[in-house]
Amino acid sequence: MQSGRWPQSLLGRVGLILFAGLAAAHVLSFWLIVTERSMAMGGMMVSYLASDVASSTAMLERLPPAERDAWLPRLERPNYRLALTSHSQGPTSSSPLAQSLVQAVATVWTPPRQVRAVDLGDPGTFSLQLALADGTPLSVIITRPGLKISPWVLAVLAAQLALLAGLSWLAVSLATRPLEQLARAADALNPARLPSAPLTTPLPERGPSEVTRAATAFNAMQQRIQKHLDERMQILAAVSHDLQTPITRLRLRADLLDDTALRDKLHADLLEMQALVEQGISYARSAHAAQEPEQLVDIGALLESMTRDHTDAGQHVTLDFSGHTQDPPSYPTRPHALRRLVSNLVDNAIKFASAAEVTASLNASGTLSICVLDRGPGIPPDQLKAVMQPFYRLETSRNRGTGGTGLGLAIAQQLALVLGANLTLSAREGGGLQACLVIERTGDVR
Amino acid sequence: MESADHILIVDDDAGIRDLLTQYLRKQGLRASSAADAHQMRAQLAAHRIDLLVLDLMLPGVDGISLCRELRSPGSAPLPIIMLTARSDEADRILGLELGADDYLIKPFAARELLARIRAVLRRTRMLPPNMGQRQPAGRLYFGDWCLDTTRRHLLDADGTVVALSGAEYRLLSVLLQHPQRVLSRDQLLSLTQGRESDVFDRSIDLLISRLRQRLGDEAREARYIKTMRNEGYVFCAVVRGEPEAA
Repeated sequence: MQSGRWPQSLLGRVGLILFAGLAAAHVLSFWLIVTERSMAMGGMMVSYLASDVASSTAMLERLPPAERDAWLPRLERPNYRLALTSHSQGPTSSSPLAQSLVQAVATVWTPPRQVRAVDLGDPGTFSLQLALADGTPLSVIITRPGLKISPWVLAVLAAQLALLAGLSWLAVSLATRPLEQLARAADALNPARLPSAPLTTPLPERGPSEVTRAATAFNAMQQRIQKHLDERMQILAAVSHDLQTPITRLRLRADLLDDTALRDKLHADLLEMQALVEQGISYARSAHAAQEPEQLVDIGALLESMTRDHTDAGQHVTLDFSGHTQDPPSYPTRPHALRRLVSNLVDNAIKFASAAEVTASLNASGTLSICVLDRGPGIPPDQLKAVMQPFYRLETSRNRGTGGTGLGLAIAQQLALVLGANLTLSAREGGGLQACLVIERTGDVR
Repeated sequence: MESADHILIVDDDAGIRDLLTQYLRKQGLRASSAADAHQMRAQLAAHRIDLLVLDLMLPGVDGISLCRELRSPGSAPLPIIMLTARSDEADRILGLELGADDYLIKPFAARELLARIRAVLRRTRMLPPNMGQRQPAGRLYFGDWCLDTTRRHLLDADGTVVALSGAEYRLLSVLLQHPQRVLSRDQLLSLTQGRESDVFDRSIDLLISRLRQRLGDEAREARYIKTMRNEGYVFCAVVRGEPEAA
């Protein structure tokens, strides 16, 4: 796992690297300019300060001692002032500026005078201690000049950094957006799609040459998958359909046999084959369910009549339907597809649990939910999604040689898609399987 | 006599044709076969055929036109049992009802076909000749309702689909095909049985009460299905092939 601070997206990562690099380079060059400027200023200060101090000293020496204090303010400069006070005993300043000033000031005179730099506590503030010709102690209190940076310089700097950030983001998103689109298109690629509908919306084949090439390749791949899926469906339909005639002949041949034991065995095998063929045809045909027009349907009557068909055939199926009375009794959907779908789930429940409970509700906001519950062996949680894939079979007890094709739930899934419904399988509390179908009402009836 | 009934089997598959002929003969019926429409016409001209077992998908000719030809006015009433493999095309055609008396989905058991043959023969002999004839109609209108025979469900006045169970549908379509005529419970049972392979063991009375509930009909003041004491039931509303002009 990545640490939380490192961004997960390519956009974030490349953007961060690009921006950090550009910002660092920018800050470095800003720092270089500032340093260079302050060094130049330091050098200038040293030379003018030495001659200034020399002329001030000469002036003070000429004035009578009583008048000297009055002149001091006039000799002040922005970065130093003079004081005629006894020397304080501070530590000798060792900063390069102080040392070069000591050197420069001392050598103004010939012979050089004694000059000492003393730290005054505040960083950047020190005093040069020397003596006038008459021995009066003189202190030059120097405040190291801070480099003044105008606020507008900072504003320009901030604007530049913002521009850099914006451009980095733009450049990186330009590079990563096609990837994002590709991922979205691949995500939307749905093998359990409506028939005749494309697998996914084709990518626009334009933009930079690399992107165009990737989009073209993706679209071609998508078409190949679609063709493959269609062919699979056609082969299944054709084989299933053509098997019906030989199976019919075999059944009739078996019926003509005098050996009843053999005949019964043949019948059992043939029934199993027939069930497989019917599932195959039913699956191939579920692709056409979208051709059924949407109509207003009395859901209560639909579920009731479907339940009766099962109970009339001697199966244990119960129905619990709660429709709100204030609801319109009719619901827009495809009645045959819905009936086949629910019936399919009921058949599945009966196959594995010998009984099915159907619970359904239609609420005021137009959400129809139909659940088919059983107390059978259920499906392991990690395979709940996989069983809805065509030809998927469980290795476990659920497929106890009942002649399952692995198509029953795939048919249901396909029909759910046609109905715009969401079909989910889950483990039922207390054991068994729960298959729930939820349809949200959208738009008007066509 | 029933044992002398002559069945003509029309199927393009030689294996099925021969096996069925063999089986029906073994069961004491007379059986001939034809491979296509041409041979069928020749056989019909040469023999007195009591019942036709017709494959829906014959090469060159589809079941609709053959059925129409056999059912055209002036031709002798001939009971027909359709055979068909399961397919979209077959569904579409079967939905039209065709006027066949019964149909069987391939593969089927020979015994099943025999039972259907006997049921259809019994049925057509029980009812007057004109009543065995079904009108191939996609929709039947009565009162506020419409029965869609293609999709096998009811539509109410607003066009809302009201589903029916298989048994309810069969009973209602039998009633609609014989309006204003009293049908006994035995007749209703016989007319509704054997159309599908699923078990049909509900009593007619239960189905009638379910149908009345669906149609919003009252037993005492019946608008659609009237009970005739000791006789049976009668469908008393007018049945139309098209909606009443509003």
